Amino acid sequence: MIRFLIVVVVIVLLGVGAYLYLNRADHSDGTSPALAGAPASAAVLARGEYLTRAADCAACHTVPGSGKNYAGGVAFRLPFGTIYSSNITADETNGIGSWTDDEFVHALHDGIGKHGEHLYPAFPYTSYTALSRADVLAIKAYLFSLPKISQPNRRNDLSFPYNQRWTLGFWNAAFFKNRRFQPDASQSSQWNSGKYLATALGHCDECHTPRNVAFAMDHAQELSGEMLQGWHAYNITSDPVHGIGAWSDSDIASYLTTGHANGRGSASGPMAEAVENSLRFLQPADTGALITYLRSVPARAGKDPITVDTKPAPTLASSATAPAGDAHADTAGFKLFEGACASCHQWNGKGQQTPYASLLGTRGVNDVHGINVTQILLQGSSLRGENADVFMPRFGDAYSNTEIAALANYVIAHFGNKQGTVTPDDVAERRKQL
Amino acid sequence: MLSLSVNGQSYPVDVPDDMPLLWVLRDVIGLTGTKFGCGIAQCGACTVHLDGQAVRSCVLPVGAIGQRAITTIEVIGNTPAGQKIQQAWLDVDVVQCGYCQSGQIMSAAALLARTPNPTDADIDTAMSGNICRCATYVRIRAAIKQAATGKAQVPQTMVSAPEGAAS
Repeated sequence: MIRFLIVVVVIVLLGVGAYLYLNRADHSDGTSPALAGAPASAAVLARGEYLTRAADCAACHTVPGSGKNYAGGVAFRLPFGTIYSSNITADETNGIGSWTDDEFVHALHDGIGKHGEHLYPAFPYTSYTALSRADVLAIKAYLFSLPKISQPNRRNDLSFPYNQRWTLGFWNAAFFKNRRFQPDASQSSQWNSGKYLATALGHCDECHTPRNVAFAMDHAQELSGEMLQGWHAYNITSDPVHGIGAWSDSDIASYLTTGHANGRGSASGPMAEAVENSLRFLQPADTGALITYLRSVPARAGKDPITVDTKPAPTLASSATAPAGDAHADTAGFKLFEGACASCHQWNGKGQQTPYASLLGTRGVNDVHGINVTQILLQGSSLRGENADVFMPRFGDAYSNTEIAALANYVIAHFGNKQGTVTPDDVAERRKQL
Repeated sequence: MLSLSVNGQSYPVDVPDDMPLLWVLRDVIGLTGTKFGCGIAQCGACTVHLDGQAVRSCVLPVGAIGQRAITTIEVIGNTPAGQKIQQAWLDVDVVQCGYCQSGQIMSAAALLARTPNPTDADIDTAMSGNICRCATYVRIRAAIKQAATGKAQVPQTMVSAPEGAAS
């Protein structure tokens, strides 16, 4: 009996030791590589504004169109329930106005809230842990300079055991590496800045890196694409076929700053928001640094790789106003496209209202699962920027699941020269996530 | 301040870049021949020409137009295709309530300008984005063919020149 107890005690001690060891925190302040838009010499609020935008805090903490900047309440529908983002304005009662510097840093570096509670990794502390303390505090100073909004936080709606925050301690032990940014001296300063932007501030990985069964990022597959919230965040590795290896620097820069690159595609859904709220504010040198880093990400096919047909026969056979080359020209999808879509997108895929309406060469129409095409048909698309105010109306209310599926498959056949596999059931699934 | 080229005239307009052209045409410039139907490019009532191509003006942000020439229903009768279409429209008496017809005529005129002898399939493709609550489709098809061929397709109900058309 005593021996049994000793074994139990030893196992418990080993477990506690492993838990503590794996949850060890990096207590250093860290340093950030140089960013053109946030030089150390600049005023803290100016740095904070630039960094807050680069970190795209608004994407999660501002309900689009609400005008309530950083007041939270954005819903994140996950397989195990819904998480609502919190109010991060300086309001003392409902926001973070009473948080000290250390508490704010603790949240971003360690994923721990003001009251010692674990934060859900929907809040990307997994990326922000790499930020320098100086940058984190510049962000705090900027947030605290903005109007306070007294909007109460909405309770998360999670099923058991996901509503037990303490379990995240084990998740962190297994998957969270608490560590400031480690510059790589063997790389250029530009590359280091780009890595800081991509992996820490801009947290590109949070959407573009595949996740494992525990919903943690699989860094061995960095940036090779993932499905999130019903959207496909595409492969942005240097893979020339499945990633963006074949894109020119100006293609990538144009996509990041305007949301569109000719012959490559236009940002929609969450990526349009990222461009709108964040990426378009990067200074050209920082965009360049980001591109330098993305170029260095090892090529990977990722899961469900998409191969873009840059010369789809049916599209090339068509003129702007007249279709040709479709195997089955009299289908429901064809009829729908003819009536609802052709006037803006055109049969040759060039798009006539705006270059953003061009479908030729985009990954959306080359994805046989039609993930993003279905989303865009259901929800429409909009992107507002300095030189772009583009939108496509939503068709979710106008068309049935069968019609949306037929239209998606037609678009994939005509502009991607592939057999689409979208079923009415797929569309019904997508609708649930709206 | 944007400058728009509408019906051969230059209009300086002080509007936000993202205002749809339809609003600018009707509410700012005062050309009300172009109609608002659905507001989401699904009915075709707002069709105008941009460098001769039919576009839905309700979803076209003015900031995206630049110096491209905008042509509206008010002057389409001055183009050869538009003149033929309007005459055929009168001869066949296409119009019932008329609300969609400025859009129908703009789409038909664009079709005729690029395809002088359209087939039924050409007509379907060009016109299917324009819907008509009165279901004048049969006479629209007949009028387009009549405009193209100069031959009467159905009994003629009226023979006159459209008002204000150039001769």
